[in-house]
Amino acid sequence: MVFTTIVNCVRARGPDEFWRKRRIFKLAAHYIGRRRNCYTVAIKIVHRALVYATKGRQLRKQDITELRNARIIAGCEQHGLNFNDLREGLLRCNIMLNRKTLADLAAWEPYSFKALTDIAKQKTKEDGFGSVKDLQAPVGVITRGMSK
Amino acid sequence: MSGLIRQFCNKLSSFTKCYSNVIARDNINIPSILSFHSRFYSNTPTLHEIVDPNKDKFITEEIIKNVNQQVSQGTQGRLFAVVHVAGKQFKVTEGDVLIIEGYWPPNVGDKISLDKVLLLGGSDFTLVGRPLIQNGLANVHATVIEKMLSHTKTHFRKKRRKQYKRINFYRIQQTMLRINKVEFVGQLNKPPDVSGLEYVIL
Repeated sequence: MVFTTIVNCVRARGPDEFWRKRRIFKLAAHYIGRRRNCYTVAIKIVHRALVYATKGRQLRKQDITELRNARIIAGCEQHGLNFNDLREGLLRCNIMLNRKTLADLAAWEPYSFKALTDIAKQKTKEDGFGSVKDLQAPVGVITRGMSK
Repeated sequence: MSGLIRQFCNKLSSFTKCYSNVIARDNINIPSILSFHSRFYSNTPTLHEIVDPNKDKFITEEIIKNVNQQVSQGTQGRLFAVVHVAGKQFKVTEGDVLIIEGYWPPNVGDKISLDKVLLLGGSDFTLVGRPLIQNGLANVHATVIEKMLSHTKTHFRKKRRKQYKRINFYRIQQTMLRINKVEFVGQLNKPPDVSGLEYVIL
């Protein structure tokens, strides 16, 4: 039930029931079969769709967080570091990049990300936390005593 | 006694130095006199490395010089920056449009300089701030191009067979920000004599 003419909007014609149903039919316009033509079926489907849309906004945020974590972890593993050591190392160096930025760098700026993992590794070695034993000291990192 | 041990150790270290200037290994011959107290402490020399202090300095200066040279010649490539705006971090480059959500005072047409730069990267180098890079080293200029509300979002809750149904509608304030310029100004490793007075009105 798609309303292509503007005539329907000119005056409020017809009983209240018509306009109440029209609101639902407008949302059901792109469905197929009885669910777009038959009110009792349409309202059920439309309500369900609206609930999904509401819940989906929260799920989208969770999915994005998950994707970002996956990207950072993949980047870390490539350089032989684990996620927690990277976060801890960077925070101890006062580098306040958040997960979103780290994920962006891991995916699109691999050289910058490697530099960050090197910084974190160096700090891990110096402070002696995390999985230090398994770590190789990064090559070519010069701190000039300023990593404190 | 401990003084004696230290003396021995000093001698040992000079002894190993003669052999090589790389990391000393365990297999170096130790004079038999020194095995005298071996039950109480280890006679093996501590691993050590002879470090040339000027080597690091040389490499550092070389890198800084290269970066400065690239910037002065304009061969640094397209720069990107990570900026902190309205509580969120964005990786931006020239020509980007940012959407800042929620209440944010600047109005349409305002030209803004984004000063909280956490990271600046070119094709061959990256500057990482702790947490921000030195003030005045990077310019990120932006213009507010649009302020509007998002599309209407429907918040609909329903419980089946419980006569419970709620519907709300809301829209979020959005500000579009065009990044006009990301540039490197000034020289690396040359901080100003006085800092922290940039925003002070005397």
